[in-house]
Amino acid sequence: MPYIYINIILAFVISLIGTLIYRSHLISSLLCLEGMILSLFTLNALLSLNINFTLSTIVPLILLVFAACEAAVGLALLIIISNTYGLDYVQNLNLLQC
Amino acid sequence: TLMLTSLIILTLPIITTLLQNNKTNCFLYITKTAVTYAFAISLIPTLLFIQSNQEAYISNWHWMTIHTLKLSMSFKLDFFSLTFMPIALFITWSIMEFSLWYMHSDPHINRFFKYLLLFLITMLILVSANNLLQLFMGWEGVGIMSFLLISWWHGRTDANTAALQAMLYNRIGDMGFIMMMAWFTIHLNSWEFQQIFLTNPKNTTLPLLGLLLASAGKSAQFGLHPWLPSAMEGPTPVSALLHSSTMVMAGVFTLIRFYPLMENNLTIQTSTLCLGAITTLFTAICALTQNDIKKIIALSTSSQLGLMMVTIGINQPHLAFIHMCTHAFFKAMLFLSSGSIIHNLNNEQDIRKMGGLYKTMPITSTAIIIGSLALTGMPFLTGFYSKDPIIETANMSYINTWALLITLIAVSMTASYSTRIIFFALLGQPRYPPLTQVNENNPYLVNPIKRLILGSIFMGFLISMNTIPHTTPQMTMPPHLKFMALAVTLLGFTVATELNNMTHNLMFKQPSRMHTFSTMLGYYPTTTHRILPYLSLTMSQNLATTIMDSIWLEKMIPKNLTTMQKTAASLVSNQKGLMKLYFLSFLLSITLGLLIAL
Repeated sequence: MPYIYINIILAFVISLIGTLIYRSHLISSLLCLEGMILSLFTLNALLSLNINFTLSTIVPLILLVFAACEAAVGLALLIIISNTYGLDYVQNLNLLQC
Repeated sequence: TLMLTSLIILTLPIITTLLQNNKTNCFLYITKTAVTYAFAISLIPTLLFIQSNQEAYISNWHWMTIHTLKLSMSFKLDFFSLTFMPIALFITWSIMEFSLWYMHSDPHINRFFKYLLLFLITMLILVSANNLLQLFMGWEGVGIMSFLLISWWHGRTDANTAALQAMLYNRIGDMGFIMMMAWFTIHLNSWEFQQIFLTNPKNTTLPLLGLLLASAGKSAQFGLHPWLPSAMEGPTPVSALLHSSTMVMAGVFTLIRFYPLMENNLTIQTSTLCLGAITTLFTAICALTQNDIKKIIALSTSSQLGLMMVTIGINQPHLAFIHMCTHAFFKAMLFLSSGSIIHNLNNEQDIRKMGGLYKTMPITSTAIIIGSLALTGMPFLTGFYSKDPIIETANMSYINTWALLITLIAVSMTASYSTRIIFFALLGQPRYPPLTQVNENNPYLVNPIKRLILGSIFMGFLISMNTIPHTTPQMTMPPHLKFMALAVTLLGFTVATELNNMTHNLMFKQPSRMHTFSTMLGYYPTTTHRILPYLSLTMSQNLATTIMDSIWLEKMIPKNLTTMQKTAASLVSNQKGLMKLYFLSFLLSITLGLLIAL
């Protein structure tokens, strides 16, 4: 397997681990989510360029669109939590109240 | 030819207004003599008509033709208009002479006479109109002049409110009038009376309903009546001219004009009958306990108007017309004598503060007594020749018994409140401050009242002898029905006299419910004048702010969405929000899967 793909998949795995393990701030999880999306985007773009499968060049674009929406939603949630609690500490999120 | 003299009658007063020399003193006398000459001239066509029974229509100036509708200025001189014009002119002459005494100290007396003259001209236009457009011009004209004259003392809030009330109630009636005009234009393509009566359409309920609404507004029938007692805020000559003899007759007159159409439509006849019966009873009840002499006479006018509507409802327009003419005389005289009392007692209008005028004002008290007797239908005075045939015909015709009973009760109440006026104002000991001077010596005061007394006594006889009856009166009826009118009137007289004598020195601790009902005019003005504006204002406020702004823009989408989502989410989810634990379990399961696969 070419080295580039392993590199980017490794980046993806590291971001995934970063999403799942975070200490206190919610925003670090969101940041790692962005990292995952970034690595996926790069993987898709490189793949469609190297295999010369031009029909799939649209896939990174669509991924980008959905990523933007998702980032926006994530930030909105962050803001609501920050409105209620003042900080985005994860231990605040145990009340089911927003 | 000689019918053109009646056109000259109309132009004589107009010339007086055109001269417009308001600054001189002579304007008043010129106006008065112009009206006198107009009255004399108008007698000529009337006498010719009496002799020859020849009606005439004068159609002179072609104004415009809109598509197929030809509008011209045309006058109709038939029995109704030729009889009414001299009467209107006679009464206006007397009232103008009276107001020379009554409004003597008013700085704007020239303007007052100008308004009275304008009113007379528009009334004559209304009476002699041959097409609906001209009638509508006269109709609006009398409405406007009524507004200007009621608010003569415009510094007084009550006068302004009363004038506005008169205008608004008239407007509601005008809607009916315009609907009638529109219907005639659409269906019959003409506004001329001849064409309307010739084609004799079969389904005339809608325009006649409009006409009924218009007359109810103009003639103060029940539902549109509160403006008439409030219109007593104007000076007494105004009340005498407008609101007793002429303007309130305009509605009844138009109904009488349309009698060929109303003969064929039983629905309209029944509704006129019931409306008139309700009006006459309701206003008679209200008149029983009023304390202001002008309001009692105003409500009495309203009651007589209801009686005229009842007569039209039993398909006797000619009797209604004769009653209209005779009523004008004695009602104007009652108003003039009440004006004389008011001025002589230094502007006191409350009958509880009058008394003992029987000896001090002989001419006025004679006038009141004769007027009240004529009003109640005393045999062989004027009212007898018009009111008695109405009651007899009503008793003998095939009508609603309830309406008949109500009319009879109202007739007896007429006698009661007339007795009340006489008892409080004339008899007994004086209850006014003793320093006021009671003086009847001015000829301007005395001559009109004397003329109207003569008219009240003799006119009924003269009119009924000189007109050809259009419907055969009932000649034979059982004696108890024949004496019915007289009996109920005598009943009213005796009951009122006994009650007044017995309760003269008693006082209520707290008036009974019936008494307040009657004194507050049946609570009708109090409720409708507050509820209707309140409802429309709150409805418009709700429409504008609540519905538009707050509901549609704010609440409908954004807030509803949030509340929906929140309730759904809190209902459905049962998690506790331990995020880190959940993410750790993801990690663990992924690594385990990878380890097993590899």
